[in-house]
Amino acid sequence: MNEAVNALQELNWGLIAPILLLQFILMIVALFDCLKNENLNGPKWLWILVILFINTLGPIVYFIFGRGNR
Amino acid sequence: MELIETRSLSKRFGQHIAVDGVNLSIKEGVCTALLGPNGAGKTTTLNLLTGLITPSTGTIEFDQSYQGDRRQYIGYLPQYPKFYEWMTGEEFVIFAGELAGLTSKQAKQRTKEMLDLVGLNDNSKKKIAGYSGGMKQRLGIAQALVHEPKLVILDEPVSALDPLGRKEVLEMMKRLKEHTSILFSTHVLHDAEQVSDDIFIMKDGKVVIEGSLTHLQNTYQKPTFFIEAEDKLEGWVETIKGQDWIDQYSLDGKNLTLTVDNVEEARKRILKDPMFQELEIYKFEVAKTSLEDLFMKVTES
Amino acid sequence: MLFKKEWTESVRSYKILWIPVVFILLGITQPVTSYYFADIIGQFGGLPEGAVMDIPIPTGAEVITATLGQFGQIGFLVLVLAYMGIVAKEKNHGTQILVLVKPVSYTNYLTAKWAHLLCISLGSYAMGYIAAVYYTFLLIEKMVIADLIYGGIIYGIWIAFVMTVILCLSALLNSTAFVAFAGLGLTVVLSLLSSLTPDLMTLSPAMLTSHSQNLYQTGQVGSGFGLNLAFTLVLIIGILIGTIYLFHKKEIAQHTT
Repeated sequence: MNEAVNALQELNWGLIAPILLLQFILMIVALFDCLKNENLNGPKWLWILVILFINTLGPIVYFIFGRGNR
Repeated sequence: MELIETRSLSKRFGQHIAVDGVNLSIKEGVCTALLGPNGAGKTTTLNLLTGLITPSTGTIEFDQSYQGDRRQYIGYLPQYPKFYEWMTGEEFVIFAGELAGLTSKQAKQRTKEMLDLVGLNDNSKKKIAGYSGGMKQRLGIAQALVHEPKLVILDEPVSALDPLGRKEVLEMMKRLKEHTSILFSTHVLHDAEQVSDDIFIMKDGKVVIEGSLTHLQNTYQKPTFFIEAEDKLEGWVETIKGQDWIDQYSLDGKNLTLTVDNVEEARKRILKDPMFQELEIYKFEVAKTSLEDLFMKVTES
Repeated sequence: MLFKKEWTESVRSYKILWIPVVFILLGITQPVTSYYFADIIGQFGGLPEGAVMDIPIPTGAEVITATLGQFGQIGFLVLVLAYMGIVAKEKNHGTQILVLVKPVSYTNYLTAKWAHLLCISLGSYAMGYIAAVYYTFLLIEKMVIADLIYGGIIYGIWIAFVMTVILCLSALLNSTAFVAFAGLGLTVVLSLLSSLTPDLMTLSPAMLTSHSQNLYQTGQVGSGFGLNLAFTLVLIIGILIGTIYLFHKKEIAQHTT
């Protein structure tokens, strides 16, 4: 296990940070829209869970299929 | 001056002939109603006029003095207008105006006027997704009028509305008549009688009756006598039928309906008729046939 | 105005935000995972000591090629799903009636959508591509900039072709699901055929991807590139004109009774 921890520490966080940031932006925007939108396909609570807990893919799936058809 | 004229306009969808040899002539500055039961081909006719569908045969001619694409002189409100619901009402009308060739400044100005006219100013900044049915209908009218068209085509503008909304829209149409020509379709005769000058009645894709409202009223609204007696009227009718003051009669045992040209004369003649005085009259009523009767007769047969 | 309207629509539906973000993520992820691949395998895979060194860090050309492969799969999937309804949805929903009764030419209506589609897809792709190149330079190796630019443009033309096909399908078909299915199917079939039988498919737009790969690896495009490029551009214009013509012939208002 120590080796794994070492490996993580070796990661250059400067490189990883933009990825995390973009994923975070995606999640926040999707969440914001989901809370505001009254015209969803499917229950709102389900979409919130999807957006929060499925990394990257969750918000994308929400944008494509979750938003109402207008 | 004819604003738009069609000659033997027909449209078929596969086997079904939706519009069959229709000759319409719509005059400038006049409100014309296209009246008929559902499925008579009214919407198809209007779609042909707007150019959304192309006729199978026949021609559509727009006034020669208005050159170019006739769509720029036409404002259209479909029966079920569908908007981009993510726009606000104001944005949509501006967008419609710009599509019709207004500059963005003109479009903004006209949009303000139109939203005022239809009473949507308070809601102009709201998303259309949040509009009620009546508001969408009024927004539809605003977008149809934004480019000051020569002819406004409204497809069933009032049928989806409640009585109050219906009255509002009809009032609005009366005001519009001052500025522009209107062509609208309806399946309710009463609406047509209220605002229109010319009426075309359609059935099964054909125009069956046409003319101005006053002409139709003069021709088809005649004074009528309803007479009901205790015993059979046949004997008396035999003596008067064929006389020239009677237009039409229909006898059903003890009930007689007489249509006449002149009420005064007919009343005198009937009441002074000695044979009539002998009858045991139960009911004697003078009325007018309504266009409703005509409309029912035309559309049901 | 129609072009502006498409922009506003994409802004309000956040497409303008999330589609580029997806491409940038794809562009960053590939070089980063390639770089750490050896490490990760070494640490977690339980390989014997010393085996770590046997897994070489890939070359820059390989990484960029792999990134374009990601764009060609996940990127296309996202673009197609986001824009499969660009015409079909307006047709089904009836919104286009209010647009097309105004004096708007069908050509403008469709080309505005086409231009928008190209802006979004190529813009997102460019951002993702730049991110990928930047990370590759940083982590793996420097490459010839001119080759990267040309290669990127060549691949962009392939994207433009796919987007034109999507617009065409969306204008002519009614079902958005079918648009997505047919669009992605066509892309996959073209790509497969082009890689399996490159000799028969020298003109296929999908061959552009292998030309761009050649460029990264050898600094040269493959033979027959000029003809391939010209043919693809002709196809794009041809499909666009054909779509406008067929769309014009279709009846806008549907028969209701």
